[in-house]
Amino acid sequence: MTQAKINSFLMGVLLAICTIWLLVPFTMAILWSLVDPAQPWTPDHLLPPQMSTYRWTNMWENSALKPALLNSYTLAPITAIVTLLLAMPTSYCLARVPFPGREVAKLLVLLPLVVPGFVTAIFFTAILFQLGLTQSRFLAILIAHCVLFLPYAIRTLTVGFEQVRQDHIDAARDLGASPIARFRAAYLPALRPSIFASLLIVFIQSIEEFAIAFIVGSPDFTTVPTLLFSRLGQDFIRPDAAVLSLILVVPNVILMLFLEALLKSANPTLSSGKG
Amino acid sequence: MTWRRCATVLLLLMPGLGLIVSLIGMVVYVAIAQSFGLYNLNGDSVFTVAHWAEMLDRKLYTRAVTYSIYIGVWSAILAVAFAYPLAIWLRKPFRGSIIIGAILKAPLLVQGLVAAFLFINVISYHGIFNQLMQAIGLWDEPRRLQNDRGAIGVLFLQTWKNMPFALLLLTGAVQAIPDDVLDAARDMGAGTFARFRKIIAPLSLSAMQAALVIIFIGAVADFSFQVIAGPTNRQSLAQLMVFVRQTSWHEAAVVGVTLMVIALAGSLLLAIAARLILKGPFSR
Amino acid sequence: MSKIIVQDLTMQFDQFVAVNKVSFEVQQGEFVTLLGPSGCGKTTLLKMISGFLTPTQGRIHIGGKDVTRTPPEDRDTALCFQSYALFPHMTVRGNLEFGLRQQRTPAGDRKARVSQIAVQLSLEQQLGKLPNALSGGQQQRVALGRALSMQPGVILFDEPLSNLDAKLRDQVRFEIKRIQHENALTAVYVTHDQSEALALSDRVIVMRDGQIEQIATPEDLYHTPATSFVADFIGNANVMPAEVIGEADGGGWILDSKIGQLISRDPRDPQAKKINIAWRPELAHVTPEGPLSGTVVSRAFQGNFTDLHVVTQGQSYRLQVPHSDVSVGDEVAFGLDAKDVLMLEPSR
Repeated sequence: MTQAKINSFLMGVLLAICTIWLLVPFTMAILWSLVDPAQPWTPDHLLPPQMSTYRWTNMWENSALKPALLNSYTLAPITAIVTLLLAMPTSYCLARVPFPGREVAKLLVLLPLVVPGFVTAIFFTAILFQLGLTQSRFLAILIAHCVLFLPYAIRTLTVGFEQVRQDHIDAARDLGASPIARFRAAYLPALRPSIFASLLIVFIQSIEEFAIAFIVGSPDFTTVPTLLFSRLGQDFIRPDAAVLSLILVVPNVILMLFLEALLKSANPTLSSGKG
Repeated sequence: MTWRRCATVLLLLMPGLGLIVSLIGMVVYVAIAQSFGLYNLNGDSVFTVAHWAEMLDRKLYTRAVTYSIYIGVWSAILAVAFAYPLAIWLRKPFRGSIIIGAILKAPLLVQGLVAAFLFINVISYHGIFNQLMQAIGLWDEPRRLQNDRGAIGVLFLQTWKNMPFALLLLTGAVQAIPDDVLDAARDMGAGTFARFRKIIAPLSLSAMQAALVIIFIGAVADFSFQVIAGPTNRQSLAQLMVFVRQTSWHEAAVVGVTLMVIALAGSLLLAIAARLILKGPFSR
Repeated sequence: MSKIIVQDLTMQFDQFVAVNKVSFEVQQGEFVTLLGPSGCGKTTLLKMISGFLTPTQGRIHIGGKDVTRTPPEDRDTALCFQSYALFPHMTVRGNLEFGLRQQRTPAGDRKARVSQIAVQLSLEQQLGKLPNALSGGQQQRVALGRALSMQPGVILFDEPLSNLDAKLRDQVRFEIKRIQHENALTAVYVTHDQSEALALSDRVIVMRDGQIEQIATPEDLYHTPATSFVADFIGNANVMPAEVIGEADGGGWILDSKIGQLISRDPRDPQAKKINIAWRPELAHVTPEGPLSGTVVSRAFQGNFTDLHVVTQGQSYRLQVPHSDVSVGDEVAFGLDAKDVLMLEPSR
């Protein structure tokens, strides 16, 4: 009884905090993105006196937003697919081939997460300069992103490969399945959620990544985060920054919710004991 | 048989782990080499400790070191300190606990720069926070809160962004503790605090260490929060590194190596400290 | 046609010898069970026959062909897994068809074969369901049907009943036997449950520590176990040391044991002066005029009989009596027929 009361009280407090935590900042951002330049939003008004989508259309037509979006949204899917392909063999090996030093290998996989992002970014450019490979910023960022996000892909897929049941593989073999048929019958169903998860995680990470894109891409290769950074820094225009923030955060939130739903729906049926 | 097996393992690890180790290995190697004057991109490479000597002598550098450590340690401790009670509270599902968990974890989905923008938007001179304080009557006039000298803004942002991550790790660990174990402790007369100290804390130690270390590494190397919301009279190590690279790769390398060493040593110290406090000489 | 010949089969994992020079034959259409406690090597042996493990030494022939190094997908064997290993994302039909699809069987034949199996195993109603929606017994039948769909010469069972509850187990047991008989399959069945082995098998191979302890029909195994291990493992015989002190008048041997003097009319001659003897607890006659006696230390009512734990001169043993009013602490007198006292290997 008291436990329930405490819980409902704590929940009330928490919901209030969360409104401040999430709702207020985002509402502010949305409102700022709708401020019409004809009439500035002054502190004496609770809401912007005149609202329009001018900032949105203006950003779309008169800024580096289009190339930035193009860069971000071509870079991310390619990174996701290449990372998946690179991660597959290593994950298979870590999950299903026992070898001495496997635990060490699993730790080494985390290396890119331990080295600070800006250190990687700066000395990766140093290597590029050293080798004279400065023609394609896109390719350079792609390579760096793949390496940076391989740990996520390998970890996710290793769990997937671990969930493949040996008796399913054996049963498929026993029934005369070729390696491809075996992969489709025994591996793929257990692996599918991890593959989607890996693609989504890497995609989101690549869209959000700032350090590499900022250092390797500077001065002329922009992604959405680098564009936002420039709007937050030297030429700070609040409504423009609000527009960019929303462009950056909304698709990723939707993707993340999708990912969560996917992982929840896919796992129980496959990991349940028999069947 | 064993040779073939060995070759298979190596071949399988090549595209994933091989790529990671070679590229990150190269990055770390080049950083260290450049800090000692090698791999000069604009002239002759000479092995020298002059860059180290010069940087260690500069006030900018030493201030950046202490400042980054300050941000790293406090971010890690604050995030974990907020996450622990929440994780214990959310251990057993109750009505609404899923929504609460989701709301608490939402900041994970918000990109760092966006988080920084939302924050400075709220605390700006004419922002909603200042207006609220005036409306309540606590403050007579708006105050300048952005880029505060104590870096409270940066710490707030770090905690806001990282607490959900600590919560994620700790909830997993705390939920893995069987009810029977806690009931047994209770049966033998352990109170709420004793159950935390003797059962929950030791059993979730590794999750807590992981959270501390990962948040510390991220915060110690922070760039964006510092540039947007941090004090203007000092620089974080990442900021300093980007700044001095404009004039000298070697000096940037010194800062970069410093950053890596601090990240590594700090992680170790934090993990050991957490262990000592939770399991160490005091708990027997 | 599908005779199995196993010769000197050895499987070594690092230092551990799981199966040690095992040889036996299984005739076409015969049902043979590998029986033994966990860790005796019976599953390893089955995995070598099915092809999932390659033996360190020895040969396996199936249907006249040497298949020692043939991979499982190319063997004429079908395995029923302990966990069933049904593909969770495929319907019952999908599971039953899987092997036939791998062989590229034409759709018409495939359909006919699946419906024939479904009828045989009464799975007609379940064909469209996913394995998760089935009961344990139904899942077991699908696993059996999937193995049968391949029309294998040899069917292999790896403890197929261990995930079923006791009542269902009896039912599925009869079903397995019926299917094997109807299809004239050569079957090798692995279990640690002696009652399954006795009920199903034409012959039983008792294994212990990677070696064969005895190969015999269920009746012979029960009535004339070769060793005290078999006597104890099958039906918990009373095993105790005894000394052969001479031949009895009218045949048989006189034995001296802690519970008293016994006569054995085991057709086998004693192998040494000091041997182990065995006798079945249910074959003792409990009568007041019995020449043997002991003190009851505990009793357990089991329904159709009562189990008495009895001690004579420090030697403890069991008696099973249909009904009894003895209580703990009482003396109980009983007798043993000479034909029921078995002489086993020399005692240590």
